[in-house]
Amino acid sequence: MSRRRRQLPLLLAAAVVSAGCGSAARQPGATAAPAPPPSLSTSLVTTTGTWAVAVMGGPAAGHDNFWQLFVRPAASGRWRLATPPGVASNGGLVMASPGGRSVVAGFRPSQDLSYSPLATTRDNGTAWTPGLLDAGLADVPDALAAAPRGGRLLALLAGGEVQLSGPGGTGWTRLPTRRALAASAADGRCGPGRLTAAAFSPAGDPLLAAGCAHPGTAGIFAYTSGSWHPAGPALPAAYARQRVTVLRLTTTAGTTTALLAVGSGPGARLLAAWSTGAHWALSPPLPLRGAELTSASLGPGGRVAAVLTGNQAQAITGPAGSWRPLPAPPPGTATLAPGPAGGWDALAVHRTRLTIWRLPPGHSAWAATQTLTVFIQFGSSG
Amino acid sequence: MPGMNSGVNVNDPAVIAAFKSALVHQGIIALLIFGLLGLAWIAVRARQPAAAQAGGQTGPAGPSAGAVAEPAWRQVLRVGFGLLWIFDGILQAQPKMAIGLPSQVIEPSAASSPHWVQQVVNWAGTTWSYHPLQAGAAAVWIQIGIGIWLLAGPRVGWSRLAGLASVGWGLVVWVFGESFGGVFAPGLTWLFGAPGAVFIYVVAGALIALPERVWHDPRTGQAILSGLGLFLIAMAVLQAWPGRGFWQGISRGRPGTLAGMTHGMAQTPQPGFLSAWVSAFTGFDEAHGFAVNLFAVAALGLIGAAFLTGRRRLARPALIAFVVLCLADWLLIEDIGVFGGLGTDPNSMIPFILLAVSGYLALAPGTAPAGEASPAVTAAGWRDRVRLVGFPTVVSLGALGLIILGAAPMAAAQASRNADPILAESIAGSAAPLNFPAKGFALTDQHGQTVSLAGLRGKVVLLTFLDPVCTTDCPLIAQEFRAAGQLLGAASKRVELVAIVTNPIYHQVADTVAFDRQEHLAQVPNWRYLTGSVPQLRQVWKNYGISAEILPAGSMIGHQDVAYVIDQAGRVRQELNTDPGPGTTATKSSFAVLLADAARQALRPS
Repeated sequence: MSRRRRQLPLLLAAAVVSAGCGSAARQPGATAAPAPPPSLSTSLVTTTGTWAVAVMGGPAAGHDNFWQLFVRPAASGRWRLATPPGVASNGGLVMASPGGRSVVAGFRPSQDLSYSPLATTRDNGTAWTPGLLDAGLADVPDALAAAPRGGRLLALLAGGEVQLSGPGGTGWTRLPTRRALAASAADGRCGPGRLTAAAFSPAGDPLLAAGCAHPGTAGIFAYTSGSWHPAGPALPAAYARQRVTVLRLTTTAGTTTALLAVGSGPGARLLAAWSTGAHWALSPPLPLRGAELTSASLGPGGRVAAVLTGNQAQAITGPAGSWRPLPAPPPGTATLAPGPAGGWDALAVHRTRLTIWRLPPGHSAWAATQTLTVFIQFGSSG
Repeated sequence: MPGMNSGVNVNDPAVIAAFKSALVHQGIIALLIFGLLGLAWIAVRARQPAAAQAGGQTGPAGPSAGAVAEPAWRQVLRVGFGLLWIFDGILQAQPKMAIGLPSQVIEPSAASSPHWVQQVVNWAGTTWSYHPLQAGAAAVWIQIGIGIWLLAGPRVGWSRLAGLASVGWGLVVWVFGESFGGVFAPGLTWLFGAPGAVFIYVVAGALIALPERVWHDPRTGQAILSGLGLFLIAMAVLQAWPGRGFWQGISRGRPGTLAGMTHGMAQTPQPGFLSAWVSAFTGFDEAHGFAVNLFAVAALGLIGAAFLTGRRRLARPALIAFVVLCLADWLLIEDIGVFGGLGTDPNSMIPFILLAVSGYLALAPGTAPAGEASPAVTAAGWRDRVRLVGFPTVVSLGALGLIILGAAPMAAAQASRNADPILAESIAGSAAPLNFPAKGFALTDQHGQTVSLAGLRGKVVLLTFLDPVCTTDCPLIAQEFRAAGQLLGAASKRVELVAIVTNPIYHQVADTVAFDRQEHLAQVPNWRYLTGSVPQLRQVWKNYGISAEILPAGSMIGHQDVAYVIDQAGRVRQELNTDPGPGTTATKSSFAVLLADAARQALRPS
């Protein structure tokens, strides 16, 4: 073998080795992502009781996680299980109240079920009337809203569409959304992206919330006269360069409450906003300092409680209040719910056990008041 | 990877029994093939003139008189890889192979490869998971057949063909079974088998298939050793490349790349002493990762360089060192590779040793008696040539028969897009034949029309019970029913696919309509999803042994998964357990075949 011939394999080997070892191209810096929506764990207050949603069960597999609905009747200080029967709740539960004693629960799709069974109760969950939404509810706590009068429902779907029911939660029709929103007068200011919440205004008009691509704008839209119109609060000039995402939007007892995330990263802040129809009031900003919102509860009178990562919780009493840190929530706290005498209840979950911790007004420590063990049929969902 | 995993337990007794039964039946056929060929050969030999018999073991594929003697290096390859193929074939006959190979061997090996590799491999894995018995048996007989063919003898034509068969099947196994030997995956290392054991079978097969004129040419040996040397040097460079985790015994509190690999190997079922050796090596590597890798890099580089020279004086000690290195690697790192019930081959080190020894032997200057072919043979007519068929030719023909025995059923199965019903039977068990009148019912279908069982008389009814808001089994069963209807083809006009709601809460017609839309059943003309009032439904459930239990705390309705086959006279002929099991594409297809077969059976006049 000649010398040149012998060198050839070495050169080839070097070429092969070097060809496979190029350095990866440097990725451009990612743009700030919109704030993620909080968990479905939340609470709701009606005239006859306080409701809460929490996930219980297995630690990992989705089909061993069972979402549960709990109710504390207004006349009682004790919580009880009220999950509507007949459907697997592994995909999540959302709830809405059309006012009075009624509560509507919606099952999110899971596994091979792609649409959302509904259930309505008028007696604090003792009896449920089945219903059906032939589409899948979105994975946000405000995916389902109920009009304060007339029994209409508004559903935000997993695909970003919106459906509006007739009276009694039947006869669903699709509302124009993405294109209509883009064509609305709001588009120039907001540039709506992912829809994040559905609600009704105190006057009964459908409301939608979205993250805005354009900074400084809160993406809340009202559906009136067959088209969408901007209906969000005007934000101070200090937020003009900040990206705004509406995390929660709900109407309770004539007050629409929104929870906004402004900015991203360690500088992100939470803002609560309230409207009774014409004008919005804004809360002072709550600096998150790197924490993320895991659960938010919007109560009557504009009360807002937020559970944050890092074992933190904050609450605000309404338009006239300011953010106040709550004592560190108990381990496993899924959500906070307004307490019976003006304080807060923390619903803490450990697998099949729910512990209620109560923080009465003026107290500085949570006190365990009740424990519920939920009988979960593990393995029943595959 | 979709379709790769049938979801059936690898130890499923029904599948294992069916696999064993298939192997026994095909084994009997294999014996018959060899027996008949042997008898034919004896008969021909009995009529052969004594002079011709004395002429030796010759045949049409290669005359002996004046033929080139097979060199030692080729014998090593032919016999060595022949034995390896037979051993691999026997390993393929392990009970777990039929179900376990796609999900527990192929899928994990492809998991770290690029998406396009996974796509390629998934095709084959899906095919195997759809037809586990045929695929498992095909692998057994094809590999044993190739092995026997290689061993059959040194005859030029036959053995070269056997070499080519080894190349062809080896490439199939290398691509689909070994995911290209993992060469596109991160963590590639010679120590763990790169470039895949079967790739060496392919190389060996190609060398066996070389024409006679190169058998005794020393350049053949130089080429083999140079190629191997080049490969080892490249592997040394790869082994030395920083950032791949081989220089660290422990990295960020976790075992380095090599220790992580051997730790995983030690966990597989195997004799205790082997596991202890591998575990001990893992501990050693964790403690001295840098030194272990330095040794590996140096050894691979030096041995590779010595091979690359092609000089016998350097190659000899390098070969000894290489054999020792391979054996140590085989024991301590590759963990022999055949234990655990799903080992497919003894891994790459034995083939590497065979290849290196063969290359070394080929370096020796050969004697090449390139005489002329026997005039007696060249001048012979076909009758004479048949009489002169030698025993190796008969064995080669038998081996070819074995390959066809394995490949033909697999090819036939592959032509069908439907999975073997054995998967469904393994989940549902077998159904005993029944014959009693089906209880009547009259309920409302998804279109709001009243449908009674009596009104369906004259057609076969596949009847099942489904919850319209069920999240798991019911949608799968509905898909199986729809697929069964498609399988029935024209016969589906004489079959009604009927489901009855089994949810006492969600039982409105709107619920059945939503379910039909979800499962694409709305356009299936013979599909009927029936519902009614709760008392009506409860009566039907009672008549058919169904209990619909409302379970608490976010669980769905509990009910039986069952289907009844009702014949044209309104009599129940079968009760099938339709629990869909894992609900994979393979099991769904298998259940559809089972349901369609049951309907066809009921359509036949009794």
